[in-house]
Parts: sequence; C-alpha cells; structure tokens
Amino acid sequence: MSVTQIARTSPALLVVSPDNWRLAIAVGLLVSAPAVAALPPGTSFWVVGAMVALVAAAFVVNAWRRRYYGGLLVAPAIAVLFVMNIFPLLWSLGLSFFAYQSNLQSIRFVGLYNYTKVLTNEIAAPDNWNALVNTGMFVVLTVSAQMIVGFLLAMMFAKEFPLRRYLLILVLTPMMLSVVAAGVFFTYYYDPTFGILSYVVNSIAGGQFILMSSKAGAVAGIVFADAWMWSPFVMLLVLAGLVSVPKYLYEAAAIDRVSAWRRFWCITFPYIRGLLMLALLFRTIEAFKLADLVILLTKGGNDTMTISYQLIRIANEQNKTSEGAAISYVMLFMVIVLTNLYLYLANRRNRRVET
Amino acid sequence: MTAGVSFRALAGRRGRRGVAEAGWGRTAAAALVSLVYFLPVLFIIFTAIKPQELALSVPPTISPTSLFGLIPDQFVFPPTLENFSSVFSRVMTTGSAPEPTGFDLYFFNSIVIATVSVLLALVLGTLAAYGFSRYPLKGNDTYLFIILTTRMLPAIVVIIPVILMFRAAGLSGSYLGIILLYTAFNLAFTIWMMKSFFDELSSDVEDAARIDGSSETKVFLKICLPQVVAGLAATFVFGLILTWNEFLFALLLTSTDTRTVPVAMNQAVSSGGRGTDWTLLAAIETLFLIPVFLVTFFLQNHLLRGVTFGTVKR
Amino acid sequence: MTASSTIKHALLAAGVAASLVTLGATWAPAEEVTLTMAVPDWPPTRIMKKFFDEQYKPKSGNHVVLDVDFIPWPDFYTRVNASLTSGEKKYNFIVSDSQWLGAFVEGGYYRKINDLLDADPEFKKTVLSVHPAVLAAYSTYPYKSKNYYGFPQFPDVLVNFARKDVLCDATEQKSFMAKYGKKLPCTGEELDAMTWDDFRNVGEFFRRKKGEMLAGKPLDDDFYGIAYQAGKGYDFASMQINGMIWQMGGNIWDETQAPTGQAEGVVNSPVAVKALEQYLGMIEYMPPVAKTGTMDIFKTDELFREGKVAMNVDWIGLGEGTIDPKISKVADKLVVGMMPGTLVDGKLVRWSNIGGQPFVLTTWTTPLQTKEAVEFVKWWLSDDIQRQFAAAGGQSAIKSVYEDPKYVTYRPWNRAWAASLDWQKDVWHVPQFFELLTEQQDQFDLAITGEQDAKTTLDNIAKFQQNLLTEAGLIQ
Repeated sequence: MSVTQIARTSPALLVVSPDNWRLAIAVGLLVSAPAVAALPPGTSFWVVGAMVALVAAAFVVNAWRRRYYGGLLVAPAIAVLFVMNIFPLLWSLGLSFFAYQSNLQSIRFVGLYNYTKVLTNEIAAPDNWNALVNTGMFVVLTVSAQMIVGFLLAMMFAKEFPLRRYLLILVLTPMMLSVVAAGVFFTYYYDPTFGILSYVVNSIAGGQFILMSSKAGAVAGIVFADAWMWSPFVMLLVLAGLVSVPKYLYEAAAIDRVSAWRRFWCITFPYIRGLLMLALLFRTIEAFKLADLVILLTKGGNDTMTISYQLIRIANEQNKTSEGAAISYVMLFMVIVLTNLYLYLANRRNRRVET
Repeated sequence: MTAGVSFRALAGRRGRRGVAEAGWGRTAAAALVSLVYFLPVLFIIFTAIKPQELALSVPPTISPTSLFGLIPDQFVFPPTLENFSSVFSRVMTTGSAPEPTGFDLYFFNSIVIATVSVLLALVLGTLAAYGFSRYPLKGNDTYLFIILTTRMLPAIVVIIPVILMFRAAGLSGSYLGIILLYTAFNLAFTIWMMKSFFDELSSDVEDAARIDGSSETKVFLKICLPQVVAGLAATFVFGLILTWNEFLFALLLTSTDTRTVPVAMNQAVSSGGRGTDWTLLAAIETLFLIPVFLVTFFLQNHLLRGVTFGTVKR
Repeated sequence: MTASSTIKHALLAAGVAASLVTLGATWAPAEEVTLTMAVPDWPPTRIMKKFFDEQYKPKSGNHVVLDVDFIPWPDFYTRVNASLTSGEKKYNFIVSDSQWLGAFVEGGYYRKINDLLDADPEFKKTVLSVHPAVLAAYSTYPYKSKNYYGFPQFPDVLVNFARKDVLCDATEQKSFMAKYGKKLPCTGEELDAMTWDDFRNVGEFFRRKKGEMLAGKPLDDDFYGIAYQAGKGYDFASMQINGMIWQMGGNIWDETQAPTGQAEGVVNSPVAVKALEQYLGMIEYMPPVAKTGTMDIFKTDELFREGKVAMNVDWIGLGEGTIDPKISKVADKLVVGMMPGTLVDGKLVRWSNIGGQPFVLTTWTTPLQTKEAVEFVKWWLSDDIQRQFAAAGGQSAIKSVYEDPKYVTYRPWNRAWAASLDWQKDVWHVPQFFELLTEQQDQFDLAITGEQDAKTTLDNIAKFQQNLLTEAGLIQ
C-alpha cells in the first residue's frame, strides 16, 4: 500500500519552528557541551536528557507534518530498545576491544587481543571451545527433543474432544514454572538418596542407581528437564498451525483415499511449517543461553559446561568483563549464522513449494 | 521473506477451523499423557501441602490421599496449609516470634512489574509492528533482524552497562527502571509476533476505509486492531510467562522495596543458613504459579486462535 | 526495607524534624544517619539486625538507622559484586567472605581501617580482642599483614556432627572394637581425639544396606558412616581438602611468601598428593550423591538431618537445623566434636580452613557515617552483645566471651569452638582468588568423580596457579 507523500520543504536552519530538527540539534549540542564540561554529572545528565528530548520532539513533529508514519510508529519501540538493550550491547562490544576488569579500575585498548585470547590462548581457549562444543550438543539435543515432543503433543490435542481445555492447560504449566524452582526440584527428583527416580529404578532393578554420575546421565538429566519445560512452547505454536488446516482439505483427501503419510506432507505440513520455524528460531536462541539448569543440576560437572555458564564465570565471578564480552560476541556471531541459515533454508524451500 | 503460508486466504474465509471431533477415547489417551506430563508440577504442588518433616522421606510421599486404599500408606502424607502461611510469616531466628517475610510486597511487585511492562511492550510493539508491516522502511528486514538480535545474548553481557546507566539516571531500584528494562526485553518477541499478524490481514478493507476518508489513526484503531485481538492475547501470555520468571535483571536492578518473587524465592533455596526448605520453596512456587496459570487458562482460546493467524513472516 | 517500614521511617524522620523545630534553639541538632548494609539472609545477620533495632543507642545522640538488605545466600556474591564493580556505591557495610578481600580492596571498594584504629584506642582494643587467627583471616590483606579491613560478623569453623544413638550403641561398640581393635568414638571427647583414619573406619564400618541391622534395628534405607563436602560448586571441596593438606604438613600456594613462594612443587608436593589421596579414599564410604560432584555442605547436612549418615564434617553455621526437631530426625541424638586431625609425632595436628564471614566498611562511607559505623562495630563486638549473640545461636571470636564457662552451654557444638580456633588458617586473599578457586574446584571435581588421580589433579592445579600467579606478578 502507498501513502501519498506531500512534498514540503524542511524549514531553513534558523527558522524557529517546532519541526526544525536541524536547529534543535544545533541548540542541543550548544547547550549540552558546556553543561557536560561545567556541571556535575548528576545535573548535566538531566540537561543532556532535556536536549535529547527536544531533538526527539522536533523529529516527531517533523515526521508528523510530513507523514513519515512508518518512522513515527516504529520510533518509540526502537527508542526503548536502543536505550535499554542495543546501547548496552554496543557498550560491551566496545569493551571487548579493551583490557578491562570491572573490579580493577584500569582500562587499556588492546584491539582484537581478547578475541584471540578466548579462541586461541593455550590456557584459556580449550575450556571455551569445550564449552562451545557442549553447548552445540545441548542445542541439538534439547531443541530436537522439544520439537519432537512438542509436535507429538500438538498432534494429540489437534482434535476437539471432551475436557480438552482442561487437559491442555496441564501440559502448558511446566513452562510457567520459574527455572530456579523447577531446577531445584529436579535435583531432588534425580537425587540418589531421596529422589523419586532412584527410588523407582532401585525398586525395580535393585542396586544403587545414580543418574548424574556419568556424562551421559548428566546430559540426559539436563536435556530432560529443559525439554520438559519448553516442549509446551513448541506444542502451542504447532497446535495453532494444526487447528488452522481447513477441514475440507482433509475431507477431499479422504475421498481420494490419500495415504496418511501423504496427507500429512501435502496438507498438514505446509500449515505448520512457518510456526515450526518460529519455534525452532526462538528455542535455538534460548538453548544457546542454557546456564541456569546446568548450574543447578551439575555445576558444570561431568563435562556439561556450557558457554553461557562459562560466560557467567568469566564476566561475573572473575570480573573479566572484556574477555566475557569477547566470548559473548563470538557466541552472538554463531547464533546469527545459525538463525540466518534456518531462515535461508526455510525461504528456499518455501520458494520451491510456491513455484 | 516469507517463511509461512498465507493460509488465512484459504482458512479464514472458507469457514470453520479444521478441528475434527474425537470422542472420549481421545480424552482418555490425552488425560493419561497430560497427567504424566504434569506429574513433576503436581509433585511440587503436593510438596507445598506436605508437612515439613516429610519433605525428604524415603520412600517419597507422593499423595495427600490414599485414593480409597489404592496408594499404600507409606506413600501418603497428611495435607497441611502451614507452608503457605510460612511464605508470608515465619520464625527467622531460633526462639523468636514469627516475622513477616515481605512476600506480600514481593508478590505485589511481581504482578505490577510484569503486567505493566508486558502491556507497555504490547502497546509499543504493536505500534512498531504495524509500522513495519504497513509502512516498510528502507532496510526493514535488517531492523527486524537487529531487534531479534537483542534476544540472542545472555543478560549477563549487558548487566554492567545497564547498572551504570540506571545509576546515572537514578533508576536503580525503582519500578520505572525495571519496567522499562522488561519492556525492552519483551519488545523483540512482541514485534515479531504482531508483525506477522498484521501481515496476514487483508488490506482490502483498510483501503476501502481510506477511500471513504478515514484517517490513518482510525484505520489502525477501528479496522486493524480489532482483527488482531487474539494475537494480542497470545503475545500477552507469552510475554507474561517470560517476564514473570525473569531472574537476573530482577536480582541486580531491584532494591528491597521493588524485589520480585523469583529473587526472593531463593530465601527458600538457602533457608535459615541450611540448604533448601523444600516445602517452603514448593509453597512459594505454587502461589507464584496461580496468577499466570489463571491468565493462561482464561486466554487459552484466544491463545490458540491467536497464534493460528500469526505465522512467521519477515 | 519494606514499604511499611519506609513509612515508619518517614514518620520517625518527621517526628525528629518536628522535635528539632521546637528544640532547635537550645539543642545541638541530632542528625539522621543511615548505614546501609548488604548481608546474606540467614539467622546470624537477622539476629544482628534484631539486636540493633531493639538495643542500639548511639552515644552521639544522632538518630542511626541500620538499613539491612537481606539477600538470599545463593545470589549474595552476584549481587554484591555487581553493586561494587558497577560503582553503585549503595552499601556502607558489606558482609564479605574473607577470600573476597583482595579483589575488592584492589578495586578500591573496601576501606582500610588502620587510621580508625589508630584514632580510637578503644576501637583498637575491641578489634584486637578478636582471636588472632580469626582476625588475620577476616581482616588482613595481604593475608597476615598489618593492613586491617574487616570485623567478624559470624565466625565459623568445621566440626564433626555425629549421632550418639548409633555410635554409643552397645552392639555397634562391640563389633567395632572386634573389627578395628579401637573404641568406637561416642562422646564429645572421643570424637575430638579422632584421626582421619578413625573417620575412615567409621565410614567403612557403618556402610549398611537397606534391611541390614543398625543399632539393633533393621534399616528401611541404605545407611552410611561419614560425609563431608565434595561438591564442585563455590568452595565445597577446597575447604575440606585444604585442611587435610595442612595437617599432613603440605601447603597450598602461600601468599604470605609472595613473591618468592612457588605453586609448582608446593601445591603438588608428595605430601599434598598423599593428603588428597586420603580425602578421595573416603568418598566411597559416603552417600551415593558424592559420586555426582554435587555433595556440597548443604547436601551433607541434609543427609545428616535425615539420619542417613553417622558423622558429618560441616560448618557450625549449618548447625541450627540439626537441633530443630521439625527438620531434623537426629535433633535429640546430636553429639559434636572437633574435626578429625592427623597424628604427627604422637600429637594431633588439626589445621583447618576457616569459614564464616567478616563485614567490612566501604570507601565511599562519609566521615559522619564512618563515625557512627565505628561506634556500631564497638557495640557489636562488645562483650555483652557478643554473649547475647552466642546465646541466640551465633559464634563469637572474642576471647572473654568464648572462654566463659557458660559459652559451651549455649549450643552442642560450642564445646569444640575454642580449641578449634587456634588451628584456623585461611585460603588466599589475593584478587585472583576466584580464578584460582574455580580451576581448583574443577580439578578436584574430576578427581572426586573418578576421572583422574590425585597426582594429575594437583599437577594440573599447580601448573595453572604457577602460570596465573606469575602473570600477576605474585610469583617471581
């Protein structure tokens, strides 16, 4: 759709007008610079803030008068995101090029040193690589478990049946739990002395069952807890896709005696593909951040260290802020590559289907 | 890019949703699966009504009732409500009277902070999504991807700059600060969800309205918004669930007056200098689950219908 | 502070202001001084706050408020660290693990108090009345130097919690004697006399399966003899292992010897390896959770309270739970002794790693606040308050308090307190503390879960420390 653009010239620099954003910027700079230089930070902060508000107001009036609705609509959200999220992210990106420890007040520019250190240093790097490999393993395992379980649950709820509403909410509940409470209770479920799991296994098989004493067991424990919590998220999205498939398509398929498998691929799948993609995208992003459950269940023992936990150790416990920033940007790079790959593959397939 | 399918053209117009009927047989099967899936939660809820001294009994006590003799006595515990009162008031030091724990305030804080920030994100995010959908900017996709990027990094990365900013702006420990932060935290998901809803709407009606002389504001409020109410509900629920349980920002950016439940909950993880107080933790979690459970339950129908129309589109 | 107490304080302030208006002409104005304090949320700090609110009367006549931020233990470091390093400057007092001293002193956050000690002889006398081992651990950076920083909030040591119903049982006594030719320790004094070998024997002796007999009764669950911390989290293995290494004559990297003291050859000395082997050798007699690397101080305490082990070496700070019948199945069966020692030339050596926390002043505290803070510390460490603190379940490192005969009557573990104090040493106070600890815990965890032997473990730790500390200039 198009918006009629009415050509209006911007006011000249020195005309005092509410939409003269150039003048607003000039005034803002003229006032802010001496304020920052002369006044104490507490006061100058508000002066600069007022000037930013002035410039912003000029931009808004300008956009309104010239009907730049797109910009106007997007601006508040972008502003909040910028201040609360993007700006701090850029700040830490900047820090990744400095040698900076937050508990020692010295800072020095070191270029790419932090990146080479976290990736190649013979003492620091192996742990990071190991954590990255483990993270990769957890991403593959948890996301595929969530996708499969979520999908199967959705299939189960795709038809209308008595009490469906009440049973569905039971399945949705795990994702409403706080991760701390759920994680702490999983330590109980897995505990070899008090826990239910060991009690059941011991009663059936005898002997002493200890789930978390091997890497396989520890990974299984973490993946199970994570998949249990977040499969409902996938389920909800897939379910939405499933219930949107028009009934008449199935009816037509029934008349043509189409096999169940073909019916799924040709009728159902196209309707849930987009939602599966959204679920995959958000779950993958979250899986890369897996740390809470690992901290609660194993403390990274039995070789279950993930990169996010490694990051918490380095950036928070040891206060190696700039090294932590470097690790997180390496991580971000990987997530971006992966998500773009998803989106690219989804697109390609989509295009093939459409043509 | 389009990763989804415009099924509204097919489904939306030609009638009912494709939900086939299945009978009580399916109910039985689904009940079995749901209950098994729900068991770990059920155990937490049961722990909340368990006497403290039975929290770690071996064999584990798993039910407040013997179900007419179905469950052997050793697995049954006598239910109690004491743990719930301990959430709000309990003995903090040996030999002294019970003291208030402040949890009434923490629950209040959690509710206010989560509700306001999710609603705020919904308002800002819906406006932005509408903008991205109807008035694409140059490099629209890039903006959207950058917005998604803000969700990709662990919170720990931005925490130091955020604390510094909050201190400079006097936002440390205030409601406003944490609410704005959570708003930003929710925006990415909100914008992505809502944009796909707007993308699914047919522009015919809107164009007709414009020709009749409706203002852009009116088109948005009177024509577009009513069609995505379900999407708003769905986004609200997802946002609420994520914000409700957020921990790290809440820990570092709230003061004692604005502390939220997930932070205070750790009182029970390390209680009175020993380890986990299982029954207390379970009681807190159970109470904490109720609001978000109810909201989800009552918005459930919207949730299903809502997500239905929102496929991923970019 | 809750909303209601904010209101209360506001009203109080208003009241004070009103009285100032009426009396202002004749009286020197009393000032409102707020001391903000970050503390972990547990009984010792709750008691401190309670005593302050009920009893503290500042001598200056100012209105002093102690605004305590109770932070749940699991997040305490994260919260305090973020507050300090971001320059929030929120707290005047901080309860701090002694190991954090170096990191936060170097960052310019913790205030050196030597000038305050010199300016106020009474204050100096109070601080110096703290047991020297405790004072060195809690107050000095570099460790054992003359730079003072902190005051004891809750001093703590490792002791041996034991079940007398099981240990004193006649049948068990008899069969233990038959098997080991030694008396099974049963009283506090007998526990005090235990060596690690005795401890091991108890572990071996009491490993019973479900259905077997224990003290004349059939067991309804597996039972174990011993437990101590063997967890990967925070410092939950190092604190135990350090003591054993010191007892056998080994050492950790010794910061008091910097910069000539080495890590290589010290940390992985043959004695240290032997000590670690001794530590690892007892894991098999402990409850199965030990094999997962998550048996921390809370888990062993839980196992002990649930009656699954006969003896548990743990901090006194966790003791209150063991005598609370609501959460402890052994509340009326408790006997406590000193942590086992090592026999060297016929004498029991019982070095141990100190626990507990001091609290420190921060550098941005104003002179007026500092003045009130000093008064507050004097009051806190005063004989009377420390006695009340001990009676309410706290511990005191003030000689006149813990040497009073009444002291041992307060709690069952107090009998082991005074004798243990002389044997306390602390782990490093250097700023690299967390890096040293993390690597060490990771390595110990590999040994505990059976991935590598003691020698490899200590070699790895020594190599890491040598490298890190050389880079930091602490080893030449």
